[in-house]
Amino acid sequence: MLSKKFQTKTLFYLLPALVIFLFFNIIPSLTSLILSFFEFSGFETNIFRKFVGLKNFIKIYDDKYFWIALQNTFLFVFGAVVIQTAIALMLSIFIFFGNFKNSTLVRSVIFFPCVLAPVSVGLVWKTIFEQDGVLNSILGLDISYLSSVSLAIWLIIIVNTWQWIGYNLVIFYAGLQSLNTELLEAADIDGANWSAKIFSIVIPLLWPTTILNMILNLVGGFRAFDIVYVVTRGGPAHYSEVLASYLYYWSFASGGPGKMGVGSAIAFVIFSFILAIGLLRVIINQRINK
Amino acid sequence: MEKNVQKENYGAKFKTSPYFYIISRIVVYFFIAIIIFPLLYTLSLSLRSPETVYSARFFLIPEEFSFQNYVIAFTYNFHGVTFPRMFLNSVIVVTISVSLIIILSIFSAFSFSHLKFPLKETLFNVMIASVAMPAQVLIIPLFYILLYFGILNSYQALIFAYAGFLIPIGVLILRMFFEQTPKEISEAAIADGASDFQLLMKILLPLAKPAIATCVILLFLDTWNEFVYAMIYLQNPELHTVPVALAKIGTSRYYISIGAYSAAIMITIIPVLTIFAIFQRWFIAGMTVGALKH
Repeated sequence: MLSKKFQTKTLFYLLPALVIFLFFNIIPSLTSLILSFFEFSGFETNIFRKFVGLKNFIKIYDDKYFWIALQNTFLFVFGAVVIQTAIALMLSIFIFFGNFKNSTLVRSVIFFPCVLAPVSVGLVWKTIFEQDGVLNSILGLDISYLSSVSLAIWLIIIVNTWQWIGYNLVIFYAGLQSLNTELLEAADIDGANWSAKIFSIVIPLLWPTTILNMILNLVGGFRAFDIVYVVTRGGPAHYSEVLASYLYYWSFASGGPGKMGVGSAIAFVIFSFILAIGLLRVIINQRINK
Repeated sequence: MEKNVQKENYGAKFKTSPYFYIISRIVVYFFIAIIIFPLLYTLSLSLRSPETVYSARFFLIPEEFSFQNYVIAFTYNFHGVTFPRMFLNSVIVVTISVSLIIILSIFSAFSFSHLKFPLKETLFNVMIASVAMPAQVLIIPLFYILLYFGILNSYQALIFAYAGFLIPIGVLILRMFFEQTPKEISEAAIADGASDFQLLMKILLPLAKPAIATCVILLFLDTWNEFVYAMIYLQNPELHTVPVALAKIGTSRYYISIGAYSAAIMITIIPVLTIFAIFQRWFIAGMTVGALKH
């Protein structure tokens, strides 16, 4: 086998990737935590000049729209983790056991939106939701969906679900293909009907795949930005903002406050959630492995 | 493969239940309709002649077909952004960053799988953990790092931002693959006097072609569709990539006709659709590989 000791030439393989990874990923990640205690904006040369303690956090704590953004993020994550996973599970079972002759094509069609840019997807749906759009024509209504305070975030959730269902579907399908069929065959001999087989055999056996899908959607839920930006731009009046888009609003949006310290405080909050999910995942993995 | 065929056929046993057969078809075709309709509708809007843009049979079939919208979209100058230019920008950024990430990931993954160095597993775990971090957490500090390096508003800004963000994924997939190749092969090569560079280039890489193809597709999609970094780090309109330029067109919805606007969206969708239609299997495998192998 190869040398068991560390050799200097190893650095030649490792370092180029590592340096880029450190400079453009790890260092900014950690700096974002520190920056949340400073006040700075735009093209300032020394961003660590003005230490303000917890002022940025107090600012977002007192900000009504931060709590709306947080609530919307949770709604969005709920949509991704529960609704999207449930629909994908249902579809995968129907396609797998429904004996579709063209099941590969069916899966490919449902998967296709995953490869599109969220920006394209958002614009496609925005056209549909517009007041003069096709949704109103089909339903015979005249509602301005995108400027509705209560509807806007749900429209974003619908668009996101539409785009990513195929992703979960394909993972569920792979889970179904590697399912142990002996139990199902035994149930067939016992004369169990299809609903009993699905609810008491297939779904319990698929539980690890379901957890995997839920975790993927959970982490993905906190990333949501593109669709929000394109479909509603956080509006009307920040009512469909999520954490990531609200961070953008505070830091970079043209016509926004341009307070990057506050943006960093929001980044701190997102960071904490992702960290908590990571720990949760480690704990779940340990439970499963026991 | 044979195993899969057998499992696919298991569904035959449910055929005895007509309810399941009917319900499954209703539900699945309903969802397919929902998936397809928005895309067909946009296509339909883009193909209508400007005079008949608000009328169509069954909401979808244009009364008068016309490619005029595509001509308008292609030649229009959206705030200094033109279609040929934004495709060129995207192609440059994506080609360079994907090549860079793949090459660096190959070497780095090899050191993780075949060489020894201190803190190896700790470093690898940090890489895995970083994959979960949303890009938005990094945007502010990264903005200043790129500013200090003097590369903000240039292709390099985006290339390094993508490399830093996506190298862990490349390393993750390729390390897994390198470790799956039988140890005997590496041992035999070393016994025959191959250096580890030769081992990597002549033996592991040819075997790793499928894994590299998977990586390329995954990285291509991640970089081609990426929006936040591209919008913030390349603010010069001449450097906008496809998603950023398209989002700008989206905000000028009332300055251009809905037909040309839809044509613009379709121009960004059609190339991806074509590539997807050809390489379906690879796309699906590529996008789910990270998830399935954890």
